[in-house]
Amino acid sequence: MGKGGEEFIMKSPDFCYYEALSIEDAIKFKSNDLESVILAGGQSLVPALNMRLSSPSCLIDISKIKELKNITKDNDFIYIGSAVTHSEVMQNKIIIDHLPVLIDVLDMVAHPAIRNKGTHGGSIAYGDPAAELPAFAVAANAEIILMGLNGIRTIQASDFYHGLFETDIQNDEILTSIKYPILKDNQKILFDEIYRRHGDYAMAGVVANIEILNNEINNLKLVFFATGTKPEVALKTSELIIKDGYDYSNVKNMIKTELDFESDLNSNAEMKLHLATILTNKILKLMET
Amino acid sequence: MVDITLNQNSKLGSIDRPNSYIGRSLTRDGAIRHLEGGGKFVDDLILPRMVNSAFLRSPYAHAEIKSINISDAQKYPGVIDIFLSEHIDTVCKPWIGVLSHLGEMRSPEQSPLAKKIARWQGEAIAIVIANTRAQAEDAIEAIEVDWVEKEPQINMETALDKDTVVIHKELGNNLFWTRTVEQGDVKKAFKESSTIVEATLDFARHTGVTLETRGIVADWDKSEKKMSIYHNGQAPHMMQHIIAKHFDISEGLVRVISKDVGGSFGIKVHVYGDEMAAIAASKILGRPVKFVADRLESFTTDIHARCHKISGKLGVDKNGKFLSMEINDLSGIGPYSMYPRTSAIETNQVLNLSGSPYIIPNYKAVGTVVFQNKTPMCQYRAVGHPIAVAITEVLVDKAAKKIGMKVEDIRKINFIPDDQYPNKTPSGVPLEDLSHQATMNKLLKIMNVPDLEKQKKLDLEKGILTGIGIISMCEVTNPSPLFYGVGGAHISSQDGASIRLEGSGAVHVSSSITEQGQGTEAIMKQIAADQLGVSMDTIRLTLGDTDATPYGGGTWASRGAGIGGEAVLKAARTLKNNILKIASAIMQTDIDTIDIANNSVIRKNGGEGISLKKLAETVYYRGHEIPQGTNPELIATSSFYIEGIPFVFTNSAMGCQVTVDQDTGLIKINKFWVIEDCGTQINPKLVEEQIRGGVIQGIGGALYEECVYDDQGNMQNATMADYLVPMACEMPDIIVDHVITNSGRSILGAKGAGEAGTGGAPAVIMNAINDALSSMNKEVTSQPITPEKILKAIGKI
Repeated sequence: MGKGGEEFIMKSPDFCYYEALSIEDAIKFKSNDLESVILAGGQSLVPALNMRLSSPSCLIDISKIKELKNITKDNDFIYIGSAVTHSEVMQNKIIIDHLPVLIDVLDMVAHPAIRNKGTHGGSIAYGDPAAELPAFAVAANAEIILMGLNGIRTIQASDFYHGLFETDIQNDEILTSIKYPILKDNQKILFDEIYRRHGDYAMAGVVANIEILNNEINNLKLVFFATGTKPEVALKTSELIIKDGYDYSNVKNMIKTELDFESDLNSNAEMKLHLATILTNKILKLMET
Repeated sequence: MVDITLNQNSKLGSIDRPNSYIGRSLTRDGAIRHLEGGGKFVDDLILPRMVNSAFLRSPYAHAEIKSINISDAQKYPGVIDIFLSEHIDTVCKPWIGVLSHLGEMRSPEQSPLAKKIARWQGEAIAIVIANTRAQAEDAIEAIEVDWVEKEPQINMETALDKDTVVIHKELGNNLFWTRTVEQGDVKKAFKESSTIVEATLDFARHTGVTLETRGIVADWDKSEKKMSIYHNGQAPHMMQHIIAKHFDISEGLVRVISKDVGGSFGIKVHVYGDEMAAIAASKILGRPVKFVADRLESFTTDIHARCHKISGKLGVDKNGKFLSMEINDLSGIGPYSMYPRTSAIETNQVLNLSGSPYIIPNYKAVGTVVFQNKTPMCQYRAVGHPIAVAITEVLVDKAAKKIGMKVEDIRKINFIPDDQYPNKTPSGVPLEDLSHQATMNKLLKIMNVPDLEKQKKLDLEKGILTGIGIISMCEVTNPSPLFYGVGGAHISSQDGASIRLEGSGAVHVSSSITEQGQGTEAIMKQIAADQLGVSMDTIRLTLGDTDATPYGGGTWASRGAGIGGEAVLKAARTLKNNILKIASAIMQTDIDTIDIANNSVIRKNGGEGISLKKLAETVYYRGHEIPQGTNPELIATSSFYIEGIPFVFTNSAMGCQVTVDQDTGLIKINKFWVIEDCGTQINPKLVEEQIRGGVIQGIGGALYEECVYDDQGNMQNATMADYLVPMACEMPDIIVDHVITNSGRSILGAKGAGEAGTGGAPAVIMNAINDALSSMNKEVTSQPITPEKILKAIGKI
């Protein structure tokens, strides 16, 4: 198609496109133009542009910045660069060897075509309350590494999410990588979600970080997603389970006291509470196997 | 799957002769072209001087337009012009979506763009013409509208209440159409019934979701006074007539071209205001105008379907014989009846089809269709079938369970026996050539019901809810002139085909049937090659162009194979006869001694023949070598329509096994079986694709799809992320098998196969789920059957 043809296929509001050469370059551009947004895989951003839900001045493409495309291991931590795609994560040797549960989680993220473009950092930074990765990061005690005009800053994933699509990223900052602690021998992360169609956002989901001591749960961190406005840690419920084990009514009552449920098109708040309770049991059963 | 359906129709000749293609699962060449990305769709088209368009649409379900100011928007970069209803109406006459043969229908005049009052969210208000779609959308944001919101009429159940908002004041209330069908004496028969069961079912609104959205390029040529329309529709000649009529153009000077179409399902056979506005803009501007709907526009302006609440009652005697059935159906259709087919047909089909596999001597059906401030509703695949089949088959299951009969046994004793056709539906519609007994027997055999029952018991002991469902159904296909034409609509029930032998020996076929992805091209080629005696690679085909194909109805209501295919068959036979006459003159032999096979005229007793290429060369270039007085026509044209009955019905039986998760409410369809009787199968693989695709859309209606509205008439899920269509992971294993009863209305004997899956799946899934819930004495009655509805039904939330 010639130039005229290309014009015909544009649907979004006009924007400029900037291909950042380096992290510093991207930060500089972003801090100079507060209406600009970061483009990584574009799997949420591009549809939003075409539906005219968003009209940024400029898209800063970070997908070609080499430093953001690495997965590395340093002692007890794994660093996943923000522009690494989900498919790349799933095929990475370090992840396969040291954080295989992440592959199971990513298998639930949309479909292969989307995973080939969508990025790890994109999903973490977008902060969709129904997405798997933000909850995974919180449960795995990950740290989010941000770079801005004042240099590098690190924040716990659990502090990173403020509310519905709201994160701690500042105007001049770019999410550069996510730092995951490697699991200890007696520790595992388990994951489950309940969805109507494979690949969709779940009606409710849970990621559990469990430490076992003498065949008993020594430490438990349950993180729920697709239930409220952000991934939420259910601390008291976790404690209750360590103490008393699972009982539907008790767990349901406890979850109700510490989480805020928001209805969506596929499940109302009451159903989400029920599903969160059921998921807790499923996780405990998974642990036994 | 066998490659070939043996001995299915003696009228078609032996299956083991050369070039016998009817009944074979040949690979269709169109599929490879699409796989390679070679499809040419409306949005791929770029014409010189073409401009693009986008619409300002109503953000409200019901609102008055106090004023519109377009002066700022007109100054936007790239904007050519902006038209409101008052401009468009200068070149396009309004329409009314009513027909005369089904009693009084009341729907007001409709123009391409709303005047003064917008009546659904998404209704087009203004068309912006710009160089690019993006520029047009930029300008839309600058149009200032002074809206005054009005109370919307959303709920169909209160549509006729006294204090409800009336959408069209001139009509006095929100009633569009009502019809009552009565056969026998229902009241008396219910009194005589020893058992009466009742059910009330809800069917949510959903839509067709074509992969390719609606699109049109209108190209008005002032000098020729000719309107060329590139349209991804299903019925080019219907559109030709409508465009000529409403734009005051001589019909012969309207050319409608519908080439590759990315799915239609009935969505693309209606007249849409936005498409008419794009045509009007082209006529005003004198240049090509493109409009292609985006997905949001598809969800809020493509016709919706279903939206029914139906209650029914079935009375049976002590032996389980059906005595009486009564149904009462309510449907909401949006603010207008669609043009030209009307929005009454779905309800009409419900009234006609309910109870249709069975002998039910006393039958009463009342249908009421009301207006709402929601997207207009009209005919979508398997029009009315899911509702009719579900109410019937749910009642039949209830009756069986109440009197302690097996669900298969009660069906068997009530079927119209296979040897008692012609017959009639309980509503009085003629039926012929059906096979409910044979299809049900075959279904039960391949399902192995005793094994499934055993498994169900074992599952239940483990706390797993497994259920089995079966149904039988009739499927409306191949409509005759008594469907639309009789009511005054210029919708052809006839289809034509033309076949010519060319100088190169190539055979060119043109047909008024269109291709929308289902393989029409392949079956037309197979019929032509089979009947002519030529290899598949000699056939070229033209479809979807009113300048180049014979006149006809197009593709809808599963009519392509049965009607369009018969026209091709007849044309091929006439051409063959012409060829043989010429050959007998050239070869100096009696016509009975020769035949056509493998692209040559052959002597049946051996000896030298003549290739079709040579014969054609002789006729076209060296006519002097042929004896004088020989008819040299190497072209034949034929037509066909169904005579004497309203439809050629097809029938099928379906079964499915589901598991219901008590904790999550999730439903898993473990296996699905279909036995279809569509008469002659031209390409069994394509038939099975139709069945399976249909079942998937039926699963959509049963479990997933719903246009969700809030109480102000705002559609809540108008994206592909939120509106759930079943995808590959949700598709169960679907076993398809056949019984073959040829239609006696044609030589080909083919009936339609496109509706069954979509029409039957919702009923059989509902029966299977309710079978699973029966151990808890619970049931679900509302589709889509969501996890939330399951959990509510079993008291978990």
